[in-house]
Amino acid sequence: MSMRRAGAPAVAAAVAALLCVLPFLLDGYHQGIASAVGIYFVAILGLNILTGYTGQISIGHGAFMAIGGYTTVILSHDHHTNLIATLPAAAALTFVCGVAVGIPALRLSGVYLALATFALAVSVPQLPLKFSKFLGGSNGLQTDHTVSHLWLYAVSWACAALGFVLGWLLLRGRIGRAFRAVRDSELAAASSGVSLPIYKTLAFGVSAAYAGVAGSLFVLWTNGFAQPNEFEILLSLKILIGAAVAGLGSLWGVAVGAIFIGLLPQLSASVPLIGPAHGQDVVFGFVVILIMLVLPNGFAGLLWRVRAAIKTRPGTS
Amino acid sequence: MGRWGRFLAALTGAATVAAVAVTAAMGGHSATPGVTAKQITIGGTFPLTGIASLYKTIPTAENAYFQYVNDHGGVNGRKINFLIRDDSYDPTKTVPLATQLVEQDHVFAIFGSLGTVPGLSTWGYLNAHKVPQVEVATGDSFWGFCAFKSCDGGKKPWTIGYQPDYPGESKLYGQYISQNFPNAKIGVLYQNDSFGKNYYAGLRIGLGARKENIVSAQSYDPSQTTPSQQVIALKAAGANILVIFALPQQTIGALVTATKIGWHPDATILSNVSANTVFLKLAAANGADVNGVISTNYVNYATTVDANTPGAKLAKAIIAKYAPSLDLNDGNVEYGLGAAWMFVYALQHAGKNPTRASLEKALHSLNVADPFLYPGIKLQTSKTDNFPVEQLIFEKWNGGATGQWQPFGKLYNHLR
Repeated sequence: MSMRRAGAPAVAAAVAALLCVLPFLLDGYHQGIASAVGIYFVAILGLNILTGYTGQISIGHGAFMAIGGYTTVILSHDHHTNLIATLPAAAALTFVCGVAVGIPALRLSGVYLALATFALAVSVPQLPLKFSKFLGGSNGLQTDHTVSHLWLYAVSWACAALGFVLGWLLLRGRIGRAFRAVRDSELAAASSGVSLPIYKTLAFGVSAAYAGVAGSLFVLWTNGFAQPNEFEILLSLKILIGAAVAGLGSLWGVAVGAIFIGLLPQLSASVPLIGPAHGQDVVFGFVVILIMLVLPNGFAGLLWRVRAAIKTRPGTS
Repeated sequence: MGRWGRFLAALTGAATVAAVAVTAAMGGHSATPGVTAKQITIGGTFPLTGIASLYKTIPTAENAYFQYVNDHGGVNGRKINFLIRDDSYDPTKTVPLATQLVEQDHVFAIFGSLGTVPGLSTWGYLNAHKVPQVEVATGDSFWGFCAFKSCDGGKKPWTIGYQPDYPGESKLYGQYISQNFPNAKIGVLYQNDSFGKNYYAGLRIGLGARKENIVSAQSYDPSQTTPSQQVIALKAAGANILVIFALPQQTIGALVTATKIGWHPDATILSNVSANTVFLKLAAANGADVNGVISTNYVNYATTVDANTPGAKLAKAIIAKYAPSLDLNDGNVEYGLGAAWMFVYALQHAGKNPTRASLEKALHSLNVADPFLYPGIKLQTSKTDNFPVEQLIFEKWNGGATGQWQPFGKLYNHLR
């Protein structure tokens, strides 16, 4: 434990320093990829709070990303709102939506909750087709201007850092303890005075707010263009896979999960034999199976194991 | 060792990443991106895989024409290097691929990229970076209009299309019906998105007062592959003219269904994006009665009635040498050749050392016949006209499963 306390700030400082220097070493294309990693970081962080810390599975976070993304586009397109100002608006709206989804979810758990959120992920991207006058239909909507790669990099990683610190503060205190208590045993939590409805819906709301911000940034990443296909079920699954790679119930693996889903399309573009068309799917599937076999607790689990190994070795503190 | 050891390790890691990144970032940049003394690099995104992969013959044909030009000395001594990227018709793939083409491959222009939605996803970005987005393969009218008037987020002067726009085409169908079938009962099948709705809106304008003759209009969701119920509903409404504004698969399904339920309308009209010879033969093979089906066309079908024109002969020679796997019955091959021809022509007129601005200028002062287009059709643009192809010829299918398109009437100019 003392190792972790001492090492964590140093690692965090090194990562922060690296992130500050990185964009000036990259060309625009790689800045774009680095921004995508930051955006996935925010989304995975949010999902981790819900699934990893509170034990509620969601395959529907793409739906909250869609709500956040469309919020940004509509505010920018129809009202010319400053793009930065649309981020808290998206967070607030998706928080409310998350709570609204969390209330019926109180009656569901495990695979039933997973299916309900799956339905959400499938149905929300259909809304722009239904209300095409307002939401642009299948042609999508655009923000009133596009942002530079550097702008997006700075904002998405600032959101990632802010989200990380807020998440850490939230989870280390009373609320985090309540979340974990709900995850480990609802019965025990309730009998210790933890209100299940309040904490479960709160977790949904907070998690959705993260996804909403990620969705806003995601739309800015696609050049300010929101379109139903961007938020298809595959996006929700990507976030879930990222969270599994990261390791549920820990904040330290999130960056690895984000790097995995952010870089994979680029890395798998030249898979031998399979080719670029299906390489991504195959690599995705293969890595997920591998991780579930070798690292059932994701990258965070690996960190814990390494830490435990160092700790038990004689001669180190 | 604990704390500092790890800090040092992190720093070493950071330094390694930084060093690699600096090395990667050190690439050469010339004054005009993509243009060297010997080569001009351009790139485009296309659905080589996925739901729209029927269109993958277009970039192959385009590249065949560029190879032909390169083997004949290139453009002012520069060979064209065409980078083809597969976005599977998915805008989240188009965005990073286009960014990569512009900022890593340093292309001179984005050429021919296919699809409305993929095009929209890079529209603002390419215009903000003043990268020519040339000859987008989609027929929406905003590509043309938004070069001069402010659309979402300002004017988009760096974008130009190629093919005739959808509403302009369907206005001609409206006119044709009201002149030839003044008392028709019209049934319309259209795709429930902006592609189908724009077509439908154009038809109503073309019909004028006779739009009241539309007895039923049925839409289908793009994910529905065979719109049978809609066709049945149109027949039940008593329609004797069937108008189909659908993608290839649904068009084929609708034609087959109509024949199967014993419906033989006085006229059937198809949008030309689905009126490919290959598609019509497929419909006939599946039992549809396609004789007399009407559509419009603008390319020079190298295999049929125009086979003896110089353009058709050149098309055959180029495809035989550079892309023998392509089938000239597939009108998209002629489309690709024609689009590539226009690009090369503009490049030849963009000065000895072309810049992005001089290319745009050349693209906006066209007045020339494209040999791969229907004889008589000219590419015409100006400072205020951003629609290169604006003429169409009506055509009628003749001969069932082994038939072909038969052009009739005069060349029509687009209605605006």
